[in-house]
Amino acid sequence: MTVQATQQAVSKGGGRSRRTDAPATLSNLIRRPESGSLIATIAIFIFFAIFGGAKFTAQSGTATWLNPAAELGIIAIPVGLLMIAGELDLSVGSVLAASSMTLAIVSGHWGQPIIVGIVVALGLGLVTGFLNGLIVTRTQVPSFVVTLATNFGLAGLALGLTRAITGSTSVALTSESWAKHLFGSYVSGKFEVAIFWWIGVIVVVGWILHVSKYGNWIFAVGGDLVSARATGIPTDRVKIALFMGTAFGASLVGVIQTILYNSAQVANGQAFIFNSIIAVVIGGVLLTGGYGSVFGVIFGTLTFAIVGQGIYYTGWNPDWASLFLGVLLLLAVLMNNTFRRMALSYGPRKKKD
Amino acid sequence: MVAVSVGALITVSACSSSSDKTANGDTKAASSGKGPAIFVVGGKADDPFWSRVKRGADDAAKVVKSGGGSVTWLAPKNYDNLGPDAAKLIQTAMSQGADGVVGPDWVPEAEDAAFKQVVSGKKPLVIYNAGGIDAANSLGALNYFGSDEATAGKAGGEFFGKDGEKNVLCVNTLPGAANTEARCKGIADGIGENGGKSSQLPLPSSKFGDPTAVAQAIKAALLKDSSIDGVVTIGTGDANAAASAIEQGGLADKVKLGTFDLDDTQLGRIQSGKQLFAIDQQPYMQGYLAVSALYAYIQWGIELPQKPILTGPAIISKDNVETAVAGSKAGVR
Amino acid sequence: MTQNSTQPLLKLTNVCKTFGTTDVLTDINLEVNPGEVLCLLGDNGAGKSTLIKILSGFHEPTSGVMEIDGTPVNFKSPRDASEHGIATVHQFGGTFPLMTIGRSFFVGAEPTRGWGPFKRLDNRFAGEVAVREMQSLGITRVTEGSRLVGGLSGGERQALAIGRAVYFGANVLILDEPTAALGVKEAAHVLRIVMQARQKGVAVILVTHNVTHAMTVGDHFAVLIHGALAADFRKGERTREEITDLMAGGEAMAELEAELEAYQAAHHGHVPDPVELERLAQSKSND
Repeated sequence: MTVQATQQAVSKGGGRSRRTDAPATLSNLIRRPESGSLIATIAIFIFFAIFGGAKFTAQSGTATWLNPAAELGIIAIPVGLLMIAGELDLSVGSVLAASSMTLAIVSGHWGQPIIVGIVVALGLGLVTGFLNGLIVTRTQVPSFVVTLATNFGLAGLALGLTRAITGSTSVALTSESWAKHLFGSYVSGKFEVAIFWWIGVIVVVGWILHVSKYGNWIFAVGGDLVSARATGIPTDRVKIALFMGTAFGASLVGVIQTILYNSAQVANGQAFIFNSIIAVVIGGVLLTGGYGSVFGVIFGTLTFAIVGQGIYYTGWNPDWASLFLGVLLLLAVLMNNTFRRMALSYGPRKKKD
Repeated sequence: MVAVSVGALITVSACSSSSDKTANGDTKAASSGKGPAIFVVGGKADDPFWSRVKRGADDAAKVVKSGGGSVTWLAPKNYDNLGPDAAKLIQTAMSQGADGVVGPDWVPEAEDAAFKQVVSGKKPLVIYNAGGIDAANSLGALNYFGSDEATAGKAGGEFFGKDGEKNVLCVNTLPGAANTEARCKGIADGIGENGGKSSQLPLPSSKFGDPTAVAQAIKAALLKDSSIDGVVTIGTGDANAAASAIEQGGLADKVKLGTFDLDDTQLGRIQSGKQLFAIDQQPYMQGYLAVSALYAYIQWGIELPQKPILTGPAIISKDNVETAVAGSKAGVR
Repeated sequence: MTQNSTQPLLKLTNVCKTFGTTDVLTDINLEVNPGEVLCLLGDNGAGKSTLIKILSGFHEPTSGVMEIDGTPVNFKSPRDASEHGIATVHQFGGTFPLMTIGRSFFVGAEPTRGWGPFKRLDNRFAGEVAVREMQSLGITRVTEGSRLVGGLSGGERQALAIGRAVYFGANVLILDEPTAALGVKEAAHVLRIVMQARQKGVAVILVTHNVTHAMTVGDHFAVLIHGALAADFRKGERTREEITDLMAGGEAMAELEAELEAYQAAHHGHVPDPVELERLAQSKSND
């Protein structure tokens, strides 16, 4: 089929190329950024299905990795988008904690309606993201440093204000039932509603990156910032919007966890900083930007969650859990590199036979 | 007179006698001028437990300040590198001219050298929260204030055993740390003497501070081994996650929950019968007593004959939860 | 080949550029005609890149007039320049190695389908146009717009960038050292693409070190030395040696030859050993 298409195109003097996003052939498949991570997800699932037994593959076992994957995914997908644009966000941990605490203080400690707390918490995320983006684009200081600073600054601010306001560091919250249903309940007693929020984030971000023209801007900004600016793309605005996206994702998870567990802890969330980056990297996004896909990040998140939880079904000593994660991370990146090289090799000569 | 001789005895047992005399000399010098500068090394202040310790230290500081002294709280930014970080904080205290140091002996291998510098610098030292009286004695500290993790764990284990649980899972989100390991071991010892057993579930740092990941791991362990009928966590945040895990696994009738440490959410669950107990080491008293005792020693040479001073364990269950709720409202429990 | 049209497409009159107190360009007068290749020659630091940055809107001239089709223009940004039909292609094509050919071709000017907030990027159209434009420049190997740009050779990337510029209506195409990083065959291919662009009526400004490449495709030559226009002549008016001499390198070469003669005279006809020669050349180029 590929051969035919090639000959046709040549014989007509060009003008005919196959549909860019056609998923038809194997050669098309291996050229996609998510191929490596898809294989990793399937392999890891089969591995734990074998060693974890029926309890792992049952509904309850599925919820075990799907719930953490959903929460991580809500952060990892916008983080992936930001990393495709060539920037990092290390402030998601504190944004999560600060938003969570904001909600608990506004609606728990001060007794405001929960909608007020949610709006203020999400607003806090957007403002933090805006500031991150503004500082990165105005000062040219690497986002690694800027967001690291934001992470510490916001952690300190959240702690100081929480203690000053409530005298404690863990604040309880009783949610109105609509909010409990929308953010912090379980479907059939097992699956967090966060899974639906994750799907929502996937649809919106997937559209932006792969279907709308803004996705092209994001790839261009991450691929070559100077060239992107020269073509007239408002690169600064693109970056600021993406920083707001990651912070919003972190805030949303903060809201979900606070309502789900009926309390906010100042120290929560820091694990999401590296976990989100790990999920994104396993998902085939290039750490230096310009390459990646939403599907890849989804698979990366699932892989991370399955590895993180699957070991508890195997009956093996869980002391080794982190070793699994380390090995997986390295293997996944090596495999993604291989697939990227395959995507870059343009070999019509081979096809002529 | 008695107090002085006991002080001499203790210090001699750990240190050279000459340092003891000079330490007393320093004591007088400090009391003749302004009040002493006391430095307290503690956990992260955003940790609910440590915020109560700090509250106790802050209350004791009011007395210190009224005597012209000061109390400075030093805490690591995170727990990733706890031993070396704590050792550096102890050295920081000394370099800032501490007249006395209060510190937890979390990681003896890393911290003891720094504690010995305090003692060899002829400044009085109080160990609190972690380490126990053995560490305090070997370092030449005045006293130990805190709970003994093994004792606390044992009390929890006994409570489970007497309640009728046979197989208890001890969830450890900080595996490898001396005090959390001792907690889980204490649980195993306590229930072992009462006809049950306990195993540990160590969770990696990639789950720390992520209640959903912790909850799902606990749920997985509960589903994997259906003989488990009790879960105990090393802290309150993990207890919230464990409560959610038990609920999601549909095991509320079968699996009983206990935890080390205490906060409002635990109290609420104990009140509503969803949680069996919480082991309170009464952290407020650790901060309060350690600072007060050190201040009294530096200022007036007062020393307590009882060593160690245990601030816990106190088991909060449905029998005594109402008084605990009152303490919690005041921010000390 | 020369079109004697009544007015040039692009005209510079007494353009100067200073950075602080340094004069980088002084009194540049240049005319660029459609369907012509202007070769901009000069040594490193002669002011070539400043000149093309002025033409492409990255810098504004300190003084002087720039006219397009007889109308004075003032570029505030690269966007302004491209709206006036001036496109710049950099040494490595200025493209995005990990984007598909189709997406990369349309960066910043994406074709969409659908309506309102549901406008979709038309990947199929983008890929087809990109491939067609590249093939019209003689790149027949590329048949799929969904391939990654990084899989193309250096020459193919130049073709992609040039094709893009032509497609978006560039009248003036500035090529900054397009052959510098390429092998002999690839360079020949790029020069053929330059000829094809010229045939389409585009004015090409080719910045190069390579006199052979310049001689092959150039209709009109301008040599910059120390920020001033040292020579401005048409094809056939100078020999290769004269052009070589004219470039800053040539100037230094002439001096080096004089030094060599002096050395030989002083050393009884002996040629200096390589180390000595190197030292002489070094001392010249440092002037």
